[in-house]
Amino acid sequence: MEVSLMGNSQANVVKTGLPYRDSRVCCSYKNKIDDKVLFVNRVSFLGQNRSANLRKAQLRFCTKASVQSQPLPSDRDSGPLSSARPKSLDAVRLFVGLPLDTVSDANTVNHAKAIAAGLKALKLLGVEGVELPVWWGVAEKEAMGKYNWSGYLAVAEMVEKIGLKLHVSLCFHALKQPKIPLPDWVSQIGESQSSIFYTDQSGQQFKGCLSLAVDDLPVLDGKTPIQVYQEFCESFKSSFKPFMGTTITGISMGLGPDGELRYPSHHRLAKSSKIPGVGEFQCCDRNMLNLLQQHAEANGNPLWGLRGPHDAPSYDESPNSNSFFKDNGGSWESPYGDFFLSWYSSQLISHGNCLLSLASSTFGETGVSIYGKIPLIHSWYKTRSHPSELTAGLYNTAKRDGYAAVAEMFAKNSCKMILPGMDLSDEHQPRESFSSPESLLAQIRTACNKHGVEVSGQNSSVTGAPGGFEQMKKNLFGENVVDLFTYQRMGAYFFSPEHFPSFTKFVRNLNQLELHGDDLPVEEEVTESVHTNANTNIQVQAA
Amino acid sequence: MSTVTIRPLLPSYRRANLNFRDRTNILLKPNYINYSIKSAPNARRFCSFKKLQKITVSSSTSTSTSPATSTDTTPVRPGDVFFKETFPLKRTHAVEGKMFVRLQKGKDEKNWQLSVGCNIPGKWILHWGVSFVGDNGSEWDQPPKKMRPPGSVSIKDYAIETPLKKLAEGDVFDQVNIDFDTRSDIAAINFVLKDEETGAWYQHRGRDFKVPLVDYLQHDGNVIGTKSTFGLWPGALGQLSKMILKADTSQSGIQDSSSESCELKQENKHLEGFYEELPIVKEIIIENTVSVSVRKCPETAKTLLNLETDLTGDVVVHWGVCRDDSKNWEIPAEPYPPETIVFKNKALRTLLQPKEGGKGCSRLFTVDEEFAGFLFVLKLNENTWLKCMENDFYIPLTSSSCLPAESVQEMLIPGKAEEATQEVSQTAYTAGIIKEIRNLVSDFSSDISRKTKSKEAQKSILLEIEKLAAEAYSIFRTTAPTFFEEAAVELEESKPPAKISPGTGTGFEILCQGFNWESHKSGRWYMELKEKATELSSLGFSVIWLPPPTESVSPEGYMPRDLYNLSSRYGNIDELKDVVNKFHDVGMKILGDVVLNHRCAHYQNQNGVWNIFGGRLNWDDRAVVADDPHFQGRGNKSSGDNFHAAPNIDHSQDFVRKDIKEWLCWLRNEIGYDGWRLDFVRGFWGGYVKDYLEATEPYFAVGEYWDSLSYTYGEMDHNQDAHRQRIIDWINAASGTAGAFDVTTKGILHSALDRCEYWRLSDEKGKPPGVVGWWPSRAVTFIENHDTGSTQGHWRFPGGREMQGYAYILTHPGTPSVFYDHIFSHYRQEIEALLSVRKRNKIHCRSRVEIVKAERDVYAAIIDEKVAMKLGPGHYEPPSGSQNWSFVTEGRDYKVWEAA
Repeated sequence: MEVSLMGNSQANVVKTGLPYRDSRVCCSYKNKIDDKVLFVNRVSFLGQNRSANLRKAQLRFCTKASVQSQPLPSDRDSGPLSSARPKSLDAVRLFVGLPLDTVSDANTVNHAKAIAAGLKALKLLGVEGVELPVWWGVAEKEAMGKYNWSGYLAVAEMVEKIGLKLHVSLCFHALKQPKIPLPDWVSQIGESQSSIFYTDQSGQQFKGCLSLAVDDLPVLDGKTPIQVYQEFCESFKSSFKPFMGTTITGISMGLGPDGELRYPSHHRLAKSSKIPGVGEFQCCDRNMLNLLQQHAEANGNPLWGLRGPHDAPSYDESPNSNSFFKDNGGSWESPYGDFFLSWYSSQLISHGNCLLSLASSTFGETGVSIYGKIPLIHSWYKTRSHPSELTAGLYNTAKRDGYAAVAEMFAKNSCKMILPGMDLSDEHQPRESFSSPESLLAQIRTACNKHGVEVSGQNSSVTGAPGGFEQMKKNLFGENVVDLFTYQRMGAYFFSPEHFPSFTKFVRNLNQLELHGDDLPVEEEVTESVHTNANTNIQVQAA
Repeated sequence: MSTVTIRPLLPSYRRANLNFRDRTNILLKPNYINYSIKSAPNARRFCSFKKLQKITVSSSTSTSTSPATSTDTTPVRPGDVFFKETFPLKRTHAVEGKMFVRLQKGKDEKNWQLSVGCNIPGKWILHWGVSFVGDNGSEWDQPPKKMRPPGSVSIKDYAIETPLKKLAEGDVFDQVNIDFDTRSDIAAINFVLKDEETGAWYQHRGRDFKVPLVDYLQHDGNVIGTKSTFGLWPGALGQLSKMILKADTSQSGIQDSSSESCELKQENKHLEGFYEELPIVKEIIIENTVSVSVRKCPETAKTLLNLETDLTGDVVVHWGVCRDDSKNWEIPAEPYPPETIVFKNKALRTLLQPKEGGKGCSRLFTVDEEFAGFLFVLKLNENTWLKCMENDFYIPLTSSSCLPAESVQEMLIPGKAEEATQEVSQTAYTAGIIKEIRNLVSDFSSDISRKTKSKEAQKSILLEIEKLAAEAYSIFRTTAPTFFEEAAVELEESKPPAKISPGTGTGFEILCQGFNWESHKSGRWYMELKEKATELSSLGFSVIWLPPPTESVSPEGYMPRDLYNLSSRYGNIDELKDVVNKFHDVGMKILGDVVLNHRCAHYQNQNGVWNIFGGRLNWDDRAVVADDPHFQGRGNKSSGDNFHAAPNIDHSQDFVRKDIKEWLCWLRNEIGYDGWRLDFVRGFWGGYVKDYLEATEPYFAVGEYWDSLSYTYGEMDHNQDAHRQRIIDWINAASGTAGAFDVTTKGILHSALDRCEYWRLSDEKGKPPGVVGWWPSRAVTFIENHDTGSTQGHWRFPGGREMQGYAYILTHPGTPSVFYDHIFSHYRQEIEALLSVRKRNKIHCRSRVEIVKAERDVYAAIIDEKVAMKLGPGHYEPPSGSQNWSFVTEGRDYKVWEAA
């Protein structure tokens, strides 16, 4: 369900054409300096003694904002204007993530007052909605089947009252910062039964989520994790029934660590290290090894099923520190390598398939869209073996497109795909990491296009990647169609004087870019000035 | 030649900062005729929201305000109370008065007297200096000694502060008289009036007052008391009133007069007396609270609402009730509380009953259960009404109407309660705004001619977004200050301590500030310091901070002009290289003191304003920030605070940043500096600092972010989290590429040592209360520098306590910085002993500190389980358990032990 704010607001723009156009003409004469004043100024769209030009520029912004905050019918086919426009010029539905710890483990709303103020600010800015992480460890904290949704319901009410939309992320993982653990009862089970967690080559466990190998094993007091997830979703659905399809427009299904469809292959990276290592395969818990063993025997190579690759580097090592990922003649290209990687990645895809089909069937008739998130593991992308992707379970190499199967799985379940990292650009990656977020993103989007999977974007860097806003804009326009974009994430930094003005500018630029299709006479000039803005923006942002 | 137009604000700025957070506002500026907000009851203040709670606590000395107390005074059974809330009541009280300036003949023609007085009660200070004949700019100088009235204090080397006093009992005016000799070569007396209680500065039309004693100085627009002998000049009062009438054109007026003044060069010193009075307004914010608690009375099925306030006098509650959220006022059926009258059939007015002891008043209201809300405003007198966010107070009378049932319990906790109800009223407020905006917008769409109205709408949207963001920011920021603490600790523990991180060294640095405020006087400081290099190195210092190297308008170097000219009063470029090499030879790193915030100009623009630069970086006025009217910059608005004595550089300009980066790189390569001490970083955004540091990759860098600590009623608050958070915010804006001087720790040490309040040295979580407690690896601890101490003494460490201060910073985490004056003083041996303790035990900036005692008269801590120390006269001995402690060194009120 899509709300076509822009369609309506443009209808208004046409009505009010005269003053609006005036102000835009003026903006195009603005020199660069004025542009920057507007940006650098921390709290001050409203300076008293600014130049006349600038005042007009402010006006323009105002006009946008006011038009946006009109009460509009949520109806996508609202008029010939909007339906006639090509999809790429359609409104980007912008969401902003709420703080990860919006609801505390005592089911109270943290910083409620700040969030309330923030929601209003976003509404006035013309943002479509907010994303709310809903934690397994909060809502089903105490005992299996004992749900407490009160905190989340309170947030949903707040959001609804303000008139924003809500995108819910169901999180079945734990978080270190801020600390949000798995449900207590799951952790307890994990203490006696550590094989429910992923285990790496050296026997280290990752306790941030359950291993996919136990998906169908009755390890949780006689129930399988899939059953538990399913009941969680059912309970959510019934508790939030009044919001479903109206306020809640989308639900993302948590698929693994950080909610992403991957193995926790990079969880032990040293933070200080600039260049991420290749990560480690996570196949050494008893259940994974069982599955591997069965698969090997079925393939007639029982010896291959005894353990994972013996020659893979460890977490923060480079690809060449051992022979598995070597660009030439590495074991990944051997029949064994293909055997192992195919199995490892297919396990992940079937895990994803299982959860997404669960979500689709649960929420299918509620009118909300279902999303799943896949990771953007861009380091070492420029090597042939793509080791980081391989350890994460995405069998994507120079020889093999690993994302086709993923996109196909999403298509099968009619799910939309959330792609993070839309703010990352190649030029800001350390050269030694052979990283290319842009090419990887392009590859995944191609796969999605091919299978008709709609893409929804996110930024990755919480504290602002260099050139992030520019990169995001690039990723939202032109050929790049997105279903919606979720900006991460509300908090102190988000509203800080260093950040908030650039965010508002980003929002403004998004809207302006959308507009120019309807406003031909001054379009060229305006577009020009928008680009100037954008550049300025980036430089300051990078500073 | 000088570029400085109002130099005296140099100290004023810094000192004013110390009072930055005070609650009183300034309002003088007599020329602003439209500045007439007399009383703004309960003005809406977004950024101070979170402080509300603190205010309640702080004023709890006046008993009745804190919710806990109010529970005691009324028979409320906690189980029944479903609403309890303390609202802040804030109003501004403007005290109007006047000041006078009088110039009159003294005992004879040669001796004249300038008097300045003010009739508003308070601690007034005249901050003043003189200009000598022949000075081109408007730089100030210190007046000759004999001109200074008793009680004067000198501020740096160009100003004097003299308190205003009542000359006789019963005088209305506090005043100060300055006697001077007309034969001296003093061309003018410049001054500003300062209110010491509030830290507010009163200038004249935005600039310093200036009383010319010679005529050709009359080129400034802020001249007061001009001679009337010249027909060209309308005279002081005439001029003033003209300026008032033509407030908007004052700028051009100034230019005109300056062109005229050129023709008036020749004039003898024929003074004429004058007397002038100017209106002055001092704003005082008065804070009170009102607490409301609501409970059900099960016997009568009525709602009992208890209202209490610490306001005194006749406080009338103007109230009504409502049935639903629409908040339509209604009058309930009788009976009413005593002393109630019906007002115009719309509302009830009830006089509150004074509480016993005279501290505030209260009243119990009984309301039928059918009503959903209780609405009220407080009336102090016909003109003073106290509201809640410019709305009526709204108290929900049913537990379900405002909150989910779960939260009801929490409402009993003060603080939480505040948050929740705040939200209720907030929601109502913004909902209102949104509605209003919508209405206005539809007007806009339907009727183009009503542009003005829609402009208002647009403005209010922007303003609203901005305010909301600021509000959200302030809350998020204050509710999550622990982020750095935990994140930083975690991050740092994983790092091997010997690793060098750019900008923050190895963690084992010990800084020496290698100069004081007088070092420029010899003219060969570099050479003098060079001779001490070996000595400083052997004492254990690893980094030396050299004075600012560039050509400068002021001899100390903090008013740089030509950045590439490294001839300063400390020596020339070759001597600088020489001293740098010498320190490198003895194994020390060198920090350059770089002034990036401001730069003095070489030339005037067409308006005669000094804002055109020369030298290799010949920037024009685009490099100057636009928001300081003195310098007429064409750049963008400043990204930080302004330093008013020189043009502030606009770091948002690409060319400026490029040039600065080049310059810094040049300093690195050409001179050999290893890092930076960044002057006055409050003046521009930390993100730019990050840019500069990334471009120059210093070994170590530290920024001077100096602002005032929090005080309540003149007493330093125990909790200085807001202060250190601001410093942390800066470090964070610079992405941690630089450390910052731990001003918080210095301030807390002042209070702790001076007043024997050693409990201050532990924060609520048992950690050091300064920046060092939250982000030790970025905290550069110090007790004194060239500004705070030396011959300036802007904020001097308590005398005689210096060694306690060093015992603290040299044993604790953070990177300590020792001031030159202290090293070469009688403290030297004690400092040396502490330095060797630090080195021997390998204490570094991330060392763990465990506070063992923080009591009235003793503070004790154990650092890295290797060093134990105590401060204060109280008793402490390290535990005689698993470890054996051996005494190493001691001095007045401090003692240090090492683990054996």
